[in-house]
Amino acid sequence: MSVEAAPSLRPQRGALTRFVSAYGQEVVIACAIVLLFAVVSAINPRFLAPNNLNTIVSGNAYIAVAAIGMAMVIITGHIDVSVGALIGVLATISGTIAVSGAPVWLAWVVPIFVGMGVNAIVGALIAYGRIPSIVVTLGMLSILRGGLVSVTGGAWINNLPPEFLLAQQRLLGVPVPVWFMIILTIGAFLWMRYTAFGRSLYAIGGNAEAARAAGIPIERRIVQVFMIHGAFAGLATILFATQLKIIQSTVPPNLELTIITAAVIGGVSILGGTGTVIGSTLAAILFSAIGSALIFINVSAYWLRAVIGALILVTVLADMLRRNREMQGAGR
Amino acid sequence: MLRTTLAVVTALTLSTSLVQAQSAWTGGDELPTSALACDGTAATPVAKAYDGGVPTNPPDRKGKEITVVDVPKLIGIGYFDATSKGIADAAKEMGNMKATTDGPTEANIDDQITVIDNYITQGVDGILFAANDPVAISPVLKKALGAGINVVGYDANSEPDARQWFVNQAEFNGIAKAMIDSLAAEAGEDAPFAIVTSTFTTPNQARWIAEMAAYAAACHPNLKWLETVEAQEDNILSFNQANTLINKYGDELKGILGMTSVATPASADAVTQAGKCGQIAVVGLATPNAMKPYVDAGCVKSVVLWNPVDLGYAAAYVLRAAADGTLQPGATSVEAGKLGPLQVINGSEILLGAPFIFTKDNIGDFDF
Repeated sequence: MSVEAAPSLRPQRGALTRFVSAYGQEVVIACAIVLLFAVVSAINPRFLAPNNLNTIVSGNAYIAVAAIGMAMVIITGHIDVSVGALIGVLATISGTIAVSGAPVWLAWVVPIFVGMGVNAIVGALIAYGRIPSIVVTLGMLSILRGGLVSVTGGAWINNLPPEFLLAQQRLLGVPVPVWFMIILTIGAFLWMRYTAFGRSLYAIGGNAEAARAAGIPIERRIVQVFMIHGAFAGLATILFATQLKIIQSTVPPNLELTIITAAVIGGVSILGGTGTVIGSTLAAILFSAIGSALIFINVSAYWLRAVIGALILVTVLADMLRRNREMQGAGR
Repeated sequence: MLRTTLAVVTALTLSTSLVQAQSAWTGGDELPTSALACDGTAATPVAKAYDGGVPTNPPDRKGKEITVVDVPKLIGIGYFDATSKGIADAAKEMGNMKATTDGPTEANIDDQITVIDNYITQGVDGILFAANDPVAISPVLKKALGAGINVVGYDANSEPDARQWFVNQAEFNGIAKAMIDSLAAEAGEDAPFAIVTSTFTTPNQARWIAEMAAYAAACHPNLKWLETVEAQEDNILSFNQANTLINKYGDELKGILGMTSVATPASADAVTQAGKCGQIAVVGLATPNAMKPYVDAGCVKSVVLWNPVDLGYAAAYVLRAAADGTLQPGATSVEAGKLGPLQVINGSEILLGAPFIFTKDNIGDFDF
């Protein structure tokens, strides 16, 4: 332990230092994005062209939106590996409603409520059934994935009405998915930081027993947070299902891993209790920027996996070190 | 627990990143290629002894009316509705075959075995099948051969000695030729193009890419391959990858080859949304239903696959020829009605022929 680490010996910290220590990971990721754009655009200026920025941000906004809900779940100390399958199922529901002739807003809104319903069951099994979340959501993953193939028989939805394709539309010149991502991220961030409900998520993930002693109804909160997560999965589905003229009736492979990874690299501790959705959204942008950059600078796509793998290791390692230091500091 | 999971996942992603295949074009495999002739002359098949099975003491069925059951992977989906239609068409044309289709409602091997077993007990003259599992289906098919039933597969094979013949819908070099010919015709002989595939190591896609590279080198040497990108089997990732290619190459890019039923429509959507229809040709392997919006809009002109109606039709003719004894081990071709003579390859397989190109004119006739 270095002497500097002891708070009592530190000089008065400025606002900037406080900001950096509170949002370290978010700052790191933001800097990484800026650095990446600077380097790649120096090699190939087309990287910065509006079309490409649109591809990077708009094309992956659904991952950022889904990662908001995932971040909340992880902050409370849980995990959900079924969200990719859930989004696949919700997309098929949405598309089926859209082609049935029902108003398109129904096709957009129903998945949000179905997502909340499915995750209410998941949350209840975890909170009241006391089954570990990884087990419950693995089970749900199989149910959703198998159910989707059984019900659709692998048939695609291909005659979607044009007005259904929300993700292809623009508002004030900015693609709709970008609006979704920005508004939902900032809204969720403020809600988690400034409301009693939002703060209770950190309390539960940080120390469940202390949270219970403080009067937080933990079981009910877990069900609620899973339902909110389901709603975000539904919102992500709107973007996912309306990006193309067709809806694939199979579950996109590894989508849940991408979403979890965005949350974790964004600074959400996998042990619960810390992190923000600003970080998860920035991490989702960073991934897609890395993927695009590798194509622009002619590096094999295999490196994308390697780079993301390395990022996970570094982030988790840094989280562990920070926690150890804090615990040792507290032990003095 | 979670930490361990993440560590394992990371280790896996890191280790897969070290495996890379080499071919003229990224994403192809290293196996030997056998490019077809530029003018489409059928390749001389490599001589291989008959390795199919033989029914035990079948009755003389020559010219007599036979009852045949068709057991596809599953019933009630557009693809196998189309193969059933082909079988029914052929049966009607021949006049001496009574064909019915029956099969599981889900692509489940256990249900499929039960269905076949029931028909062996009932007694039929012939069985057509598309296997849900090549190994698991073989014992019940051998039982059918043992009962003197003629057995012919199509679409998805069993072990060779569990059936007499298998109608192969497309060979890798045939698909490769159709893809590259369509690309050169639409984008130009000297067009720069890129490929969107699932992963560089997916066996079928890697084989097609290697065969395309070989065929292009021989027959369209001025086509300029730019790069291959991976998009898993994920339609939004495919869309983003195609967009990135369009953004990177700008007006230089003249063609995109989609290697999967997911990548092809997603690439077409990217080209559509970029307003580049007509400037960037999208050619790919895909099912007609996934491509209808883009073909109908005129953004995609050629979708390469095979015609499942022809596949069923050919299978019925092959079964009839096997029952009549006109198709014997060692034969080099078989007459298949309006499809003409079909070539015998790989010992006991019948090649359906050149792939089918779905275009604006015919895509509406298919529903799968």
